[in-house]
Formats: sequence, C-alpha cells, structure tokens
Amino acid sequence: MTRGVAIEAIGVHRRFGAHIVLNDLHLAAEPGQFVVIVGRSGGGKSTLLRLFAGLDQADQGAIKIGGDELTGLCSSARMMFQDGRLLPWLRVGENVGIGLANPDYERIREMLNHVGLADRIDDWPAKLSGGQKQRVALARALAAHPRLLLLDEPLGSLDALTRLDMQRLIESLWLRSGTTAVLVTHDVDEAVALADRVILLNQGTADREWTVNLPRPRDPANPVFSALTQTILSHVMEETQVADQVEPSSPDHDSIRFGSGGSVTVFPGRRYR
Amino acid sequence: MKQRFLPWLVPLSLLCLWQVSGNLGWLSTRVLPTPSAVLRAGYQLAMSGELAHHIGISSRRAAIGFAIGGLLGLLLGILTGSSRIAERLIDSTVQMLRTVPHLALIPLVILWLGVGESAKVFLVALGVMFPIYLNTHHGVRTVDPGLIEMGRVYGLQRWGLFRKILLPGALPSILVGVRYALGVMWLTLIVSETIAATSGIGYLAMNAREFMRTDVVVLSILLYALLGKLADGIARWLERLLLPWHPAHAAALPVESI
Repeated sequence: MTRGVAIEAIGVHRRFGAHIVLNDLHLAAEPGQFVVIVGRSGGGKSTLLRLFAGLDQADQGAIKIGGDELTGLCSSARMMFQDGRLLPWLRVGENVGIGLANPDYERIREMLNHVGLADRIDDWPAKLSGGQKQRVALARALAAHPRLLLLDEPLGSLDALTRLDMQRLIESLWLRSGTTAVLVTHDVDEAVALADRVILLNQGTADREWTVNLPRPRDPANPVFSALTQTILSHVMEETQVADQVEPSSPDHDSIRFGSGGSVTVFPGRRYR
Repeated sequence: MKQRFLPWLVPLSLLCLWQVSGNLGWLSTRVLPTPSAVLRAGYQLAMSGELAHHIGISSRRAAIGFAIGGLLGLLLGILTGSSRIAERLIDSTVQMLRTVPHLALIPLVILWLGVGESAKVFLVALGVMFPIYLNTHHGVRTVDPGLIEMGRVYGLQRWGLFRKILLPGALPSILVGVRYALGVMWLTLIVSETIAATSGIGYLAMNAREFMRTDVVVLSILLYALLGKLADGIARWLERLLLPWHPAHAAALPVESI
C-alpha cells in the first residue's frame, strides 16, 4: 500500500494583481496526516490547495512534496473539486479510470465498491445525484493510490445528510489508503469531524492551529467536539480584526481535557516560524 | 395512432389535390406534371440506368467535397481552438475569407478549373469548410476549463487531454456544424451543377428543361430534397451515435431508465 507523503509550504507568497492572497505562509504536514484548512472566503484556502497540486505557482517561497521542491504539476497528488468535474461523456467506470495509467477494470470496480456505487459502473454521470457524483469523484481521486489527496470543498454543494455520509466515507477511505489529506472547507463541524489538525488561514497566513485527538469516527455530540467547534468558529468570526494583534508568542499551550472523550490541544496564535 | 397520422394529413391532401387537378386539366402538365407523371419519369430513368448514374455522380461530388472541406475545417478549428498563437495567426484570415460568398466564386472557379469535377468538389469543399471551422473552433474554445484543469491534475498529457476532454467536449458543437454544412453542401452542388455540368442531377434537370420535360425537372428537384433529407437523417443518426450522454438525446431513452 502506498503511504502518504510529507508536504510543506515555506514562506509562500501569492498575489493576483494588487490583491495579496497568500502572505508568507508556512505550513507542514506529516505523511498520512489529515489537515483541514478553514477560514473566511477569499482567505486563500483554495489558492493554497492549487499550489500543492502544482496548478498554480508561488510568487515567492517554495512548495515541497516529500522533501523535493515542486516545479510542475504534482504527479503524486489527486484533487477533488466542489463541482465534481466528472466527464459527462464518459460512463461512471471510465470516469473512475481517468487517472489510471492503465485503466484496469478490477481496480475501478474495487473503488466503486468502496463508495457503494458498483452497480452504477455503466451509467452516465448525468443520471447520478449530487452526492453520488461526489462519491464517484472520490473513487476517481483515490483510484491511482495518490500519496496526497487535495479536497477543495468537495461537500460544499451537498445537503446536510449527504454531507455527513460523505464525511464518514472520506474518513474511512483516507484511513484505508494512508494518504496525506488536505481539506479546505467552510464548515467547522466538518473540519473537527475529519481533521488531525485544523489550521485557520487568515489574511494569507496560517494563523492558528488546533490538534484534534478525538477517537474516530467522531461523535458531534461529544462535548469536546462541540467545545472545539465553538472555539474555532469564534476565531474564524473574529480573526479578521484580531489577526495582527496576536503575537506569535508563548510556547506553552492550553490542553483541554474532558473525561474520557479525548483531548484537544490549542496553540494560541502559533505561527510556523 | 391518430396522433401519428396527423402530421401527414396536410401533405397527403395536397398531393391528392395536385394529382386530381392535373387529371382534370385545371393544371397544365407544362406548368406542373402530376405526381404520377413524375413517378413514371423516375421509373423510366431508373430503368435506363440514367438515374443511378446521375445520383451517383452528384453524391460522389458531395461526399468528396464534404470530406475535404470538413476535414480542413475540423483541423483548422481544433488548431485555432486549442492554441492562442494559431488563433492569432489564422483566425482573422479565415474570418475574412468567410465573408466572400463562395457561390460568387463560380465564374472564377470555372476559369481556373473548367467545368470538370474538380470545380464542383472545390466549391463544395469551400462552402462546407467554414461552418465546420466556426463550430469546431467555438466548441473547443468553450469546453469547461474546470474539466481541462481536472484532466491535468489527473495526469493527462496533451494527447490524452485532447482525446478525452477537448474533442468530446467540442463534439456537440462540431455536429451542429456538420448539420449546417450538409445543407450548404447540397445548395452548392445544386447551383454549380445547374450552371455548368455535363452530368449529375443538376445536369439532368437542365437537360430536361431543353426538351421541355417538366416531369424530369420536378423529379430532379425532388431528388435533391430526398438526398438532403437523407443527409440530415445521417447527421441525426451521428448525433445519437456519438452523443448518447447528452441531455438532448437522453430524452429518447425509455422513461423508466431515467
């Protein structure tokens, strides 16, 4: 089985015209980690993901995948998009095979089995519901054993129930594959449900992070879960004003413990320097 | 059953009216021969082998001209659709040439190529090229950039991107161009065969005119209509064959499968 790959963004700057999207961003993830990036719209979350995919290049700084600096497209990465982006002229099975160098039927079938859609292998994507399309997109993303899985708000356009199902599915397939995963989302509940680490992106930098050690699969009713969600949410809401007043200071951090529910580590205002 | 018959009611009644007025002498056969006379003329020509000969020649001109013009339009359209440099280099020239009505070139083409086969094939190719070029260019240009981006992340190289994303994405538009071009193809052929030819359906009609054979003239017109209809049918069939995924064609599927 392929394992995940270590990824790193070192002092990355990216601007579009006069608009600075990423400003001296530092971020690193260990192999196999699930990192979730939250933050307000326009905070550079998707841009960062595109940099890791190699779809966009940094103006300054470097992106490293497995220790090597990324120049072109990242061949070990696969990406899932909010709008699915299945090819309407290929059947479901052929869509899953799109990223395989040698589309092999067994592998396609296996992947569709994992997402519960093996019986739709010969259907046109137009016949699937929104949630089914994203399941196919997930199967496609994982078919080639990627060492890095980039998820750009893949559940953003799904209804609440389907979204919960998809979160479970993403979690179980990620655990099975051992790949490094980076998810961008608006949904803080989703972040806490999936993340090893939640990173708050604000004004182009990784501003805060929380490590989530809750056992998987996670229960949103767990008080640690909801407390952490509240904490993160309040930071997302206020960050725009606070960001520049918080000093990248104290090495000590708060650790909240709630009975046997697991633990959450909070790094107040920690920056990656 | 009633519903299926309804669209045929008006044309069939007109046909009957035409036949009856011819039989009763209301309509001079010089002006318009009766349907039965046209059929008879067709039967005689078919028996003598002339009909097949002329249809064969016309169809061959149409097919060769369409193949050359279509291929050229397709290649140019793909080139300018997928490369900015090629677009800057070629597109404005093609657009300029497009404004010249190709049928206006007939006198010049006759001077260049005489009244032989190459003149007709050239005109058909020229007429067919532009609609296919325009629609191919537009089709390739308007393929969802998100899909192309997806293809790149999923490791598709130039050829793979073209084969799996650009071409199928542009295909609906290309087929619209093909259908339009088929119309242009017959029109060009009719005009050029009528003006200068020694064989083909247009020649058949012009020759019959000299001998006042109105029935053969009408027959020729009907033949063009039939061939046009046939070409349109082929284009529709191509669309169903090549675009089974397209929502416009999904409606043709049995209801329970949707």
